[in-house]
Amino acid sequence: MSDIDKLRQEFERDLAAAATDAALRVVRDRYLARKDGLVSNLLKGLGQVPPGERPRVGQQVNQLKAEIEAALEARLAAAAAARPPAGAVDVTLPGRQPRLGHRHPLTLLRDRIEAIFTRFGFLVLDGPELEDDYHNFEALNMPPEHPARDMQDTLYLAAPIRSAVGSPATLLRTHTSGMQIRHMESSPPPVRLIAPGRVYRRDQFDLTHTPMFTQVEGLVVGEDVSLADLKGTLTAFVRELFGPERRVRFRPSFFPYTEPSAELDISCASCAGAGCQMCKQSGWLEILGSGMVHPAVFEAVGYDPERYTGFAFGMGIERVALLKWGVEDIRLFYENDLRFLEQFPL
Amino acid sequence: MPDNPDRIAHEISLRGFEVAAVESLPQPVIDFEITANRPDCLSHVGIAREASAIWQLPLALPEAPAIPAVAGADLDVRLEAPDLCPRYCAQVFEIKVGPSPQWLADRLSAAGVRPISNIVDITNYVMLEIGQPMHAFDLERLGGRALVIRRASPGERIRTLDGVERALDQDVLVIADATHANAVAGVMGGHDSEIGSSTRLMALESAYFHPPSVRRTSKRLGLKTEASIRFERGGDVGAAPAGIARAAALMAEIGAGVPRGAFIDRYPAPRIQTAIRLRASRIARLLGQEVPAEAVGRILTALGFEVATDNQAETAWRVTVPTFRVDVAREADLIEEVGRHYGFDRLPTTFPVLSAPQPPPPSSLVHERRVRHVLTAAGFSEASTFAFIEREAAQPFCAADSEPAAIANPLSEKFAVLRPSLLPGLIDSAAHNRKRERRDIQLYEAGSRFGSGAAAAEGRAVALVWSGAANGPHWSAPTRFVDFFDVKGVVEQICAALAVTAAFVPSATPFLVRGRAADVRAADGRHLGIVGQVLPAIVEARGIPAMDEVFAAELDLQALAGASAGDDKRVESLPRFPSIVRDISMLVDDTLPAAAVRDTIRSAAPPTLVSIAEFDRYQGKGVPDGRLSLSLRLTYRAADRTLTDDEAQAATEKIVEALRTRHNAERR
Repeated sequence: MSDIDKLRQEFERDLAAAATDAALRVVRDRYLARKDGLVSNLLKGLGQVPPGERPRVGQQVNQLKAEIEAALEARLAAAAAARPPAGAVDVTLPGRQPRLGHRHPLTLLRDRIEAIFTRFGFLVLDGPELEDDYHNFEALNMPPEHPARDMQDTLYLAAPIRSAVGSPATLLRTHTSGMQIRHMESSPPPVRLIAPGRVYRRDQFDLTHTPMFTQVEGLVVGEDVSLADLKGTLTAFVRELFGPERRVRFRPSFFPYTEPSAELDISCASCAGAGCQMCKQSGWLEILGSGMVHPAVFEAVGYDPERYTGFAFGMGIERVALLKWGVEDIRLFYENDLRFLEQFPL
Repeated sequence: MPDNPDRIAHEISLRGFEVAAVESLPQPVIDFEITANRPDCLSHVGIAREASAIWQLPLALPEAPAIPAVAGADLDVRLEAPDLCPRYCAQVFEIKVGPSPQWLADRLSAAGVRPISNIVDITNYVMLEIGQPMHAFDLERLGGRALVIRRASPGERIRTLDGVERALDQDVLVIADATHANAVAGVMGGHDSEIGSSTRLMALESAYFHPPSVRRTSKRLGLKTEASIRFERGGDVGAAPAGIARAAALMAEIGAGVPRGAFIDRYPAPRIQTAIRLRASRIARLLGQEVPAEAVGRILTALGFEVATDNQAETAWRVTVPTFRVDVAREADLIEEVGRHYGFDRLPTTFPVLSAPQPPPPSSLVHERRVRHVLTAAGFSEASTFAFIEREAAQPFCAADSEPAAIANPLSEKFAVLRPSLLPGLIDSAAHNRKRERRDIQLYEAGSRFGSGAAAAEGRAVALVWSGAANGPHWSAPTRFVDFFDVKGVVEQICAALAVTAAFVPSATPFLVRGRAADVRAADGRHLGIVGQVLPAIVEARGIPAMDEVFAAELDLQALAGASAGDDKRVESLPRFPSIVRDISMLVDDTLPAAAVRDTIRSAAPPTLVSIAEFDRYQGKGVPDGRLSLSLRLTYRAADRTLTDDEAQAATEKIVEALRTRHNAERR
C-alpha cells in the first residue's frame, strides 16, 4: 500500500473518532497545517520522488488533499448546524414543578364511590359523628341488651355533649345508620341515599383493625323495592369499582336492621377464585353487608312497613382500599407518611 | 348429601353460616361461625336441621325416652323470680362419677371441649348436641336440699366454679339452696356445690332464663361462658325437659347414673307458640320474584315450622314458629327463611325505579370538597388522623382552664379524649414524617373537632401545617423557608374560594408564637379561625426539633359557610378605560400596621382608586431607627371615562397628606 493510501485510511479513522467541533479542528491541523501538516509534508517531499513519477504522485497527493478538505468541511458544517442557538436551554434539566398536594386514599375512594352512586341517582348525606343511643341502636332494631350490640363495641362519652346537629350525644357512632334514621324521620319516601363518614368502634389498633374507620352506607326505600333491586344496584356498583370481570355472590347473613340480610362477596383478583392467602383459600372476598330494611326500622321512623319496602347496605372504605391497592397494613392510612400519600393521585 | 366435608361446609355457608375452618383429621370437623340471631344453631341438631332442608333428608333427632319416675331422693324447687326464669326443670340422679368412655371424650375433644368426668361431659355433650345448657349440683351439699331461683340479696357473695369470689346485687338471678347462692343463673355454677369424685346424688338443672337478664349479669361480672352465650341469645323454652331426658338417656347408656324421684318442671306461664301469616305476594314483593308454593312449604317444614294453607283472597300460609326459632317474629323473618334456602343466586337482578329526584347535596359537603381542592392545589397533601387523642396532646389546644371531652371507656391513654382541634393530629403526622428524614412538610385535614370544657360540641374544621421549604426544590434557586405570609396566603385563598371576606388581627392564641399569630375574622367580626407559628415547645414535645418553625392554620368550616357571600354573584363588566398607576414611598413608624395605612388611604381616596399594593418595605441605611420605608403602588381607574394625570395626581397628594397627618408619615 502506498503512503498516500495509508494516510487516507489514517485520516478516515481520525475523522470518525472526532466527535466535537474542537476535535475536528485538531484533525484539520494534523493533516492540512502549512507547517508540519501530514498532507503538506507529502507535497513538500515530492522533490525526492523520481521525476517520471512526480506528476502522477503529485496528482494523487492533491486529490487526497481535496478529499480531506471536503470531508472536514462537511463535518464542520454539520457540527455548526447542530450547535444550539443563542439562548438555548438544556431541556434535559429537571423542570420547576408547581407544588401540588396529594389526596388521601380514603377520601379519594370515598369521592369515587360517591360519584358512582350520584350517577345512580343517590343523594349524599352528611351527619353527626356523635350520636345518642336511640339513633345509633334502638331505632335500628337493637334495643338495650340486644346481643347484636356486641358486633359493634361502642365508645361512650364521659359526659354528654352537643352533636353537629345540636342534639345531646352520648356515644361515638358505630355506623353511619343514624344519619339515615334522621333523614327518614324528616323526609317521606321515596329515599335513595348514601351516608358516608367516619365511625368508631372499640377495636384494637393493628394490621387489620382501627378503632376509627370510614364507612359508606346506603338506603333505598320505595313502594316496590326488592332484594332483586338490591342485587342489581350493588352488582353494578362493585363491578364499576373493582372491574367488570369480577364475579359477585350474595350470601345470607344477619344484621338486626335488615331482614333478609345478605353479605356481598366478589371473586378474589389475586387468585382468580382459585383460593389464596388473601381470600383465606375461599376464592371470595367479603366487601359489604346488605339486606332488606327491617320493618321495625320503618316503624321507628313512621314509615308504613306494609306500603314501603327498601334495601340498605354498608361497607368499610379501608377494607375496599386495602383490597383495591394491595395495602398490607391498615395503619398506613392513619400515619400520614408522605411517602405513602404521594403514591396516590392528586 | 355429599360425602366431602368441604362441599358440605360450602353449601351450608351459602345458607348464612360462615365457615371458620374445615379439618379432616382425625375425623372431619367443620367449624361454623354462628350469627347472634341463631342460638338454635349453636348445636349439632340446629346445623343438622339446616342440612336436612338443603339436601331434603329427614332429620334424625337423638334418642331421649321419657324418664320413668323412681321413688326416693327429694328435691325442693322454688321458682321465686318467674320474670327472670320462665321455666326451670330439675331431676335428681344417683350417680357414679368416673371418666367418660372414649367415644364421648373423642367427640367432645373434636368440638373443642376438654373431657373432665362422665357427669360434666354429659352436660357439655347435651349442650353441644341440642343446644340446652345444664348445670349439675351436688345435692348433698345443697342446704335444705333446695333449689331456690331468686334475685340475689344485697351484699350477697358467691364463689364461682372458677374459684373467684364475686359480689352480687339484686339484678342478678341466682340459684340458691335454703341459705346461700349456689349458681349465677345461666352463667356459672358455684364452687360449694360442685360435683366431685365422691358425689352420690346430683340435682341436674335444665332451665330457660330471661335473655337480657343473663346478658346484663354476664357483662356486669365480666364472665362469658358457653351457657351465658346461649342463654343471652335466647334459648329454647321448649328444650328444658328434653335436656334432662337426653342426659338421662346418655347416663343410662354409659352407666353413669339413674334418675331418682319425680321429674320437676316449673313452668308457670307456658309460652303460646307464635303463628304468622305468610303471603305469597309479599314473598314476591320482598324478593323480587315469586317462589313456587311447593318450595315455600318444603323449606319451612324442613326447618321445623308448621305450615298450613291459609288462602283467603290470595295464596297464603299460616306458619307456626317452633320455640327454638327465637329470631322469627314476623312475616319478613319467614321470607328470609324462604329466600335463604331458595337461594339468593336464583333471584333476578334489577334496578330500582327512580320515581322522584333527590334533593341537592348538603352545602357542608360542597364547601369541604372545595377547600380540599384549594389545599391540594396549594401543595398540601391530605392527612387522616384519629378523632380521639392523648390528653397531653390535646391540652394545649383547649380553651383556657378547660378540659377536652373525654371518652368513658377508651382503648388506651393514646385515645383518651376527643380532639379539641385538628392540629395535634397534624403535628403528630408532621413529626412522623420529620423522623423519617422528611423536612419539607405540608399537610392538611378537614374533619370533626369537639371543643373543650363547657363549650364542648361537635364541629367541622379544616387545619393545615407547613414546615420546611416554602418553594419547591430546584437547582435554579435557593430554598426559602416558610413564613407567616405563606400560611396567611393559603388562608386567604381558602376564604376567597368560599367567597368570604376575612380580616386578620394580632392574636393571643396560647398555642401560637406571640407576634406571629393572627385571628381570622369575618366582616361582622365573627371568629373564623387562627393562623400563625406553633409554639416551639409544643412541637418539640411531639418530636419535632424546636428549631423547625411549624406554621399552622385552622378554620371553622361552619363559620366560613356562615360568612360566605355564596355562589350567587353577578359578574363585573371588564374595564373599558385605561388605568393610571402612581407609586409613593413613605417613611412611617415600623410598628404601624399595614391595615391602618390601607384604611387611611381608602378613606382619603376618591372612588377611582381601584387597588393598593405594597411593593417594597425597607429598613436600613438611610432610614432612621424605628422607621420604615414603605412603597405603595396606587392604581386609579374610572368606569365611565379616561382619567387624567391631574386627577390621579390630586388624589395621590390627598392620600399622602392624609398619611402625613394621621400617621406622621414623610414622603421620601
